[in-house]
This record gives sequence, C-alpha cells and structure tokens, in this order.
Amino acid sequence: MSSQDPLEVHDLSVAYHRKPVLYGIDLTIPAGKLVGIIGPNGAGKSTFIKAIMGILPISSGWVKIFGESYSKNCRRVGYVPQRESVDWDFPVNVMDVVLMGRYGKLRLGQRPRKKDKEIARECLEKVEMLALANRQIGTLSGGQQQRVFLARALAQESDVYLMDEPFVGVDAATEAAIVTLLRELKERGKTVIVVHHDLTSAKEYFDSLILLNMRLIAYGPTEEVFTSDILQKTYGGRLTILSEAVTALHQDQKS
Amino acid sequence: MNRSRHSLAIIQLLVITLILAGTAHAARISEITETSIGEQALRFFTFQDRSLRYALLGSLLLGISCGLMGVFLVVKRLSLMSDALSHAVLPGIAFGYLWNMTRDPIAIFIGATVCGLLGSGVVQTIRNTTKQKEDAALGFVLSAFFAVGVCLLTMIQNLPGGNKSGLDQFMFGQIAAIGKTDLYLLGGVTFLVVALVVIFYKELRATSFDSAFSRSVGIPSSFFHYLLMLLLAFAIVSALQAVGVVLVSAMLVIPAAAAFLLTDRFATMLVISAVFGMTTGSIGSFLSFVGRDLPTGPLMVLTAGTFFATALFFGPKHGIVARWWGRRSRALIVRRENALKSLYRVMENDDFQRDFIIVEEIATQRSETIEEVSKSARTLQKAKLIKISHDKKNLTFTATGWRRACEIVRNHRLWELYLTRAADFAVDHVHDGAEEIEHVLGEDIIRKIESELNHAKLDPHGKAIPGWEDISAPYTTPSSPTAS
Amino acid sequence: MNHLIPEFDYQKVIIDPWTSEFEFSIWIIVMGALVGSACGIIGNYLLLRRMALIGDAISHSILPGLVVAFIIFKSMSTLVMFLGALVAGVVTVVLISFIEKRSRVKSDAATCVVFTVLFALGVVITQLLAAGGSIHIDAECILYGEIAFVALEPIVEFAGIALAPAPVLRIAGVTVVSLLLVMAFYKELLITSFDTGLSKSMGLRTSAWHYGLMIALSLVVVSAFEAVGAIMVVAMLIVPPMFAAQLSTQLPTRIMLTLFHAVVASIGGYHLSVWLNCSVAGAMVVFGSLMFIAVWIYSILISKIRKVA
Repeated sequence: MSSQDPLEVHDLSVAYHRKPVLYGIDLTIPAGKLVGIIGPNGAGKSTFIKAIMGILPISSGWVKIFGESYSKNCRRVGYVPQRESVDWDFPVNVMDVVLMGRYGKLRLGQRPRKKDKEIARECLEKVEMLALANRQIGTLSGGQQQRVFLARALAQESDVYLMDEPFVGVDAATEAAIVTLLRELKERGKTVIVVHHDLTSAKEYFDSLILLNMRLIAYGPTEEVFTSDILQKTYGGRLTILSEAVTALHQDQKS
Repeated sequence: MNRSRHSLAIIQLLVITLILAGTAHAARISEITETSIGEQALRFFTFQDRSLRYALLGSLLLGISCGLMGVFLVVKRLSLMSDALSHAVLPGIAFGYLWNMTRDPIAIFIGATVCGLLGSGVVQTIRNTTKQKEDAALGFVLSAFFAVGVCLLTMIQNLPGGNKSGLDQFMFGQIAAIGKTDLYLLGGVTFLVVALVVIFYKELRATSFDSAFSRSVGIPSSFFHYLLMLLLAFAIVSALQAVGVVLVSAMLVIPAAAAFLLTDRFATMLVISAVFGMTTGSIGSFLSFVGRDLPTGPLMVLTAGTFFATALFFGPKHGIVARWWGRRSRALIVRRENALKSLYRVMENDDFQRDFIIVEEIATQRSETIEEVSKSARTLQKAKLIKISHDKKNLTFTATGWRRACEIVRNHRLWELYLTRAADFAVDHVHDGAEEIEHVLGEDIIRKIESELNHAKLDPHGKAIPGWEDISAPYTTPSSPTAS
Repeated sequence: MNHLIPEFDYQKVIIDPWTSEFEFSIWIIVMGALVGSACGIIGNYLLLRRMALIGDAISHSILPGLVVAFIIFKSMSTLVMFLGALVAGVVTVVLISFIEKRSRVKSDAATCVVFTVLFALGVVITQLLAAGGSIHIDAECILYGEIAFVALEPIVEFAGIALAPAPVLRIAGVTVVSLLLVMAFYKELLITSFDTGLSKSMGLRTSAWHYGLMIALSLVVVSAFEAVGAIMVVAMLIVPPMFAAQLSTQLPTRIMLTLFHAVVASIGGYHLSVWLNCSVAGAMVVFGSLMFIAVWIYSILISKIRKVA
C-alpha cells in the first residue's frame, strides 16, 4: 500500500508480564475512516493504541504513521486517554487542559501564543464547553470531562486520532455530540480510531471495525465483519492454547 | 493445620532463641575478654554483666517483634506509614519524660504510643476531609509531629537537669541504655505481637491479601487493620530505645523485605523475617559495644542492609544471580536444541538416506564455519546427544538426541500449523514465534494442539511433522518419519 | 511543667528581634524564608506527582553524598556540596528503581530500604570521622541543623558591597534559579505531572523530566540542609504546598501562596523560638504546620456551613 496511509502496523507484538499480550497484529488503515476497536476485557485494545504511540514498549514488529516512524510523525497523531488515567484534583482549569493540546506545536520553554489560545477557544466552542473555560476540572461531570479531553485532542490539529474508551460513563447527550464530532472529522478526511466498550453501539457508530483478542481476529467494513461467526471467535473465550503457550514462554523469559 | 504448624514454629523459634542467647552471650563475653585490649576491657568492667545481657536480650526481642510486624508492612505496602509514625512519636517521648522529669520507661512508652496513634488518626482525618493525597498526609504528620518533638527536646535541654535527660539517645538509639523496665516492656510487646500473630494468623493473612474479600466472608477487616496499627505502634515504641526514631522503620522493613525475597509462603516469611530481625539486632548491638560508643541504630540498619543485599543478589529462587544463571542455562539449552534441529534438517534434505550427518553440510546449512560447527558438536557430544566420528567429519545421533531432535522439530512445525490454522496467522509470520516457543512447549500442550489439529501430518510449508510413533520408536537407524 | 514554657515577655519576643537583635535575627529569618520558598516551589511538583516521600528519602540520603564528597575533595565548598548532593540524589533514585525493577519488592519498601541504609552509612562514616577528629559534625546537627549559625557566618562581600552570609547567598541563588526554571519550563512540568500518557504520545521524554526534577530536588535539599537539617527539609517540602493547596486550585496561585507561607512561617516561627527558647527550625515548622491546620479547619467549617445552607 502507499506509504501515505495514516496507520500501518506490521506483525506487532507487545508483551509484559502477567498482562494481556498482543501477538502478530497486521493492519493498514486508510484516511477518512471512523474505526472502532472492539473485543473482550483484557484483550489488549488499550495496549494496542498505547503501543502505537510508544507509551508501551513493542517487543516485535513496527508501526508507521504516514510512512514514517511514530516518533517522526507524532505531531500528526492526537490522543484521548481514558478518563481515569488522570488526577482530576489537579490544579488546572478547562482552558489549561485544552491548551496542553497545543504543546506539541511549541518549542521547549515557549509560551502558548495568541494563536494557540484562539484555537483552544475554537475547540472548546466545538464541544460546547467554552462557557466553563475557567472551571477547575474536578468540578466537571463525567460528560464534561470527556468533552474537555476531546477538545484537547482537537487542539492538537492532528490527522489521526486515537481514543481510549471515550464513551464510558458519559451521558447520552454528550455521547451523541461526540459521535457527531467524530463523523465530522471523518468527513474532513481525518482518521479516527476508537477503542470502544459497547458492542451494540459499535455497529451504529463506526464504518469499520477492528476485532481484537490478543491477536487480530478481523478488520474490515462493519457490515462485513459484524457477523455472529466473527463475534463468536472474538468474544467466545480466549484461544486457550495460544494464551497458555504464550504464558509459558513469558514465565520462562521473565524468571 | 497451618495455625498449629505455625505456632509450633514460633515456639521452636523462641526456644532456640533462648538457647542461642545463652550460648551467644557466653561466647561474646569470652570474645570480648579475649580480644579486648585496655580500653575494651575497661569498658567491659564499667558495664556490669547485667546490661550486656539486657542489651542482647533486648535486641533479640525487638528483632522478633519488628521482624513480624514488618512482614505486614511490606505486604500491605505500608512501609512509608511506618516511617511517618516512627518520626511522629518524638513529642510523645518528650511528654513521657516531662511526666516525671526522668526517663521513666513506662511513661515514655505510653506517651509515645498515644502520640503514634494520634499521628495515624491525623493521617486518616486529612485523607477523609481534604483532597490531599496519602503521601502528603503522611509527610505532614511525619514532619509536623517531629518538629514539635524537636522543639520540646530543645526546650527540655534548657530545664535544670535537662542536659542529662539522655533523650537525645532516642535519635539514633543506644542499646546500652536499656534497663530492666525497658526489657520488661520489650518482652511484653514481643509476647503480645507473637501471640496475636499466631492466634489470628489466618485472619491477618486474609485481610492483608484482600481486605474487601475478607469482609465479604465475615472477617472484620477494619478491626484487624486497627489491631495491626496498634501492634505497629507498640513495636515502634519498643524499638526506639535501641534503634532511634529516625531508623526504626528500617528495622521493621528491611528484614521483612529480605524475607520477602527468599520465600513464597506467608508463614515462612514471618519466620525468616523474625530470624533476620534477631540476627540483625544482636549483631548491631554487638558492633555498638565494640565500636567505641557508636550509636546502635545505624549499625543495625547497615547489618540489615547487608542481609537484604545478599538476599537480593543471591536469593536461591528470586535472586538476581539465580535469575541470571537460569537465563544463561536456558539460553544454552536453546542453542543446543537449535543445533539438533539443524542436524535433523540436514538429514531430512537427504530424505534420511544416510544415518550420519556430514559436518560440512551443517556448516553450509547454518552459514557457519567448520570450527563453529565442531564446537557446537562437541557441546552436543558432551550432553550425550550425538557422537562425533573419529575423523571428526561425521556426526551421528544418540537415541536421546534423536528423540529430542524429533520433539523440537515437531513442536516447531505443530506450532506453525496451529498459528496458521486456528489463529489465522499469515504463513510468513509464524516462523519467528515458533522459534521461541518450540523450546518451552510441554507435552500436555502438545497433546492439545495435536488433537485440535486432528493429528495433521504436514506443516504450513509442506514438511512432515514427526509424530508420536517416530519419537517413541526404538532407535536403530533414523528412518523417515511417517508422512502421508 | 510550668518551668518548661518560659514567660511571654512581649518586649523580648516581639519587639527586640526587629530592633536591638536585628542584625542577628534578620539573617535567620531571611534564611528561613528562602529555605521555605525554594523547598516549597519544588515541593508543589512533588505533591502533584505523589512523590512527597521521595523528598523524605532524598533528604536523608544526601548525607553520605556530602560526607564522601568531603572525604574525596577535602573541602566543603559550594561546588563540592552540590556535587555530593547531586550524586547522592541520582544514586538514590537509581537504586530504588533497580530494586523495584529487578525484584518483587515494591516501591514503598524499596524507598525505605535505600534511604535508611544510605543514611545509616552516612551517620556511621560521620561518627568515625568525628571520632578521628577530622570534622566536627554531630548527629543533632545532621538532623535538625542549626539555623542560628547562619547569623554567625561572615558576610560575603562583592565589589565592596556587603551582601549576606554565604549560606544565605547559596539558598537565594537556588531559590531564584528554581523560580526561573519553573517559569521557563512551566508547560513541560505541567504536562508531565498531569498526564504522562499524553506527554509520551507527544514525544516528551518523561523519564528525563523526572530525573531533572530529582536533580533539582537534590540541589535544593543540600542548600537547605545546613540550615534546617534532614527532617525539617521534608517539612519545608511538604507543608507550604499543602497550605497552598487548601486555598487554591490554580497552580500559579499555589506557587505564590507557597512563597507567602514560607515568609510568614519564618517570621512567626522565629518569634516562637525566641519565646520558647527552642530550636529555630523546629519552631518554624511548627508555626507553618499551625498555618496549615488553620486553613484546614477553615475549609472544613466552610464546607459544613455550605451543607447546612
């Protein structure tokens, strides 16, 4: 495939003791897609996107963003982590958090410029949080917190967006608003990849799906892969032999 | 069953301790008199026999109580809580002194304990009523209480007789200062700790491991938590005299951490920790006597640290050296088995027409020099897996070697087949994974894979998979494995 | 008991320090305020990263670093001190993570083991050296410093102008540099403390920032060490930021409040120590803790009133 694909993953394996492992993942995602990653708990969905971004170490295989390594093109990737990964008592307000999205564009020691603050305000506007710009983040509801995270990712002005369970613990109105925004991004030619926790809504929201359970079970347009066969394979209990053998290997290597 | 075994162990421990104390004491006295010159002898005579005995017994007792309590701290991740509490008791010590203007051990004990419990209460309250985090609350109690203590100590120094209060020994500890009452207190605390740990062994273990679950099966987790905090306060206060405020948490944590590295069983960890505690305590106090007035605390901590470092590096199962050794021997086995695999493949290329393998062909197959091949051949011969011919040009398998070669090749090819069929891997992806896994697959997993794949005979590349019959057949000359 | 607390002589406690005893007291107060400021600024980041007790650990393990540096270089100049502290700080952090990564021992126990052993080593070496007559350091000094000695230090002159005693200059330098660094790297420190996942995904090297912070911490601690000793440094690292956190949810405001706390606690603490005739550093920490307790109680009352209303 052309080296201009937003995301290309080859034979990706991630291993760390006692946690779910990823084994030999291969896929290529073109631009302008809204992709959902689904799979049972502990299947490695979060691990997958963290490995792409270099937050977790890769044991084998590689990742390319628009044909280059992640570290070269990290500016083109926006990230929305899980809400629980952050201390909401931190003394920052909504605007501070969204401005963090602009840090990738600033040099070491450079202050956010007028332009950055403008963009931050626009992004807050898009998620309808501008009125709360000066609130400390701990005072927000779950849905509002998620919107702030989303605004921060939008402020990164990326071409690829990786999101980790953005719909967990969020009210219906916020969920709908987020989906609309994601669709907008897709229309603009961006690539949005979302780790999702809920099967039924997955079918509705995403045009393509990645089904993951330690290894790639299937990837393709939703209508094609959302079949009971494939779902069975994904959710119907781990490949016990695979996980036993891989566990044996890691026990061996770790001890 | 565990409880009686455990209490038996503790009783045996105490008996051994008393015997050891007696003999060690005798030995040490003679050591001191024999090796001492001048100054040492003088000091020996100014200290009466009794205080040496007290010091030794005291350090053994505190070793037991700190060792046992430390296990709970390490396992429940409360090490830094003990650090905070041990600093927080300083004002209590000062108040204890002020009660009667003397160093009354009981008053100091009560003062320190009350202060310690107050400290843990304040930590809890800060956590409950503010957004401050655990480490901040602990740090606050540690420094605020300690500062109050320091102020009181300096104020006491201004009082008549305050200079001789001896309270500054509480900073770094001086085991020589232990008197009869101190010993009784130490003995009482140790007895209490041992008794409660033995009686409530299973509850304490359960709540340490998973307090929520324990609560759900009816064990009052909070009661045991507070019980542990109380015992912790007692252990800290009783150890203060010997180790000092600043380093008590070391006596609690280090022996237990060392024990943690040496065993996988909770009861064993308790015993080992107590033994380490006793050894550390006695060595530390001995060094303190020999070493011209050096405070005991730092010496005990250094001793404990040595034990810990030894356990860390040389622990039999989890030690760094042991692990490195294990990795190295595994790596050797892997190299050996890979060599066997290549031998098998060379024979296979020929359809097993010859019953020997030419060294040159191996070199070509593996892109190695003849010397390299000969070297690995010698290793294999040493392991009785092959025989090298007299002219060193040919190799033959032994029965064991052939069997192992077949097993490895079978594992590799079965795994590749499994990955491509059942796990839908692309054919060119499977080789590297198989290279790793072939060495660790046990027979039970192999059986499962074979049945999952319906005893297929060919791997994804079309090569024959050695079956059970091939491997278990009596070895005469290697014959071609049954292929379909 | 009533001998313990001296009479409160208004003249002696409140007035004299600013008049007749001014030359003596001013350097002590300034030192106290600067120590509180430098420690407090970096303490804010320690609290945000939940590393308050690493501050405790490093303030203890600095000791062997200083002693070894002294033995090697046979001097106690600023450079030697800083070097010793820096090496000690790095060694501490490296050892703790070594134990954590290579064994089952978790971070809290690993921290405890490392800093107590290093501190014990430092004390033993110090005692041996003192017994041998090489240096005059006693255990109490290590633990609670003697800030009053600052007043007795000769005043450093620069271009003919009398400035301040050397320790004061040192800590002033460290405070100013800390403030500048915090302002310059405000956003990097903010994002690495707030969201490590996002920081890594943006290509920031979080471990480099962590070690940088630890080095800064070591230098701050060693500068404060001689004035307030090991344990009080921990107080200065933790109490001012806690005070600030009770009052504000904005980081820049918190830093200002930290500076405020440092100054007020220094002045109040000094008066307290004059009255009680006790350790000056101890009194400063006690006063600072009372300030925290005051705002803590205040916030509890406010929330109770809010509930009722």
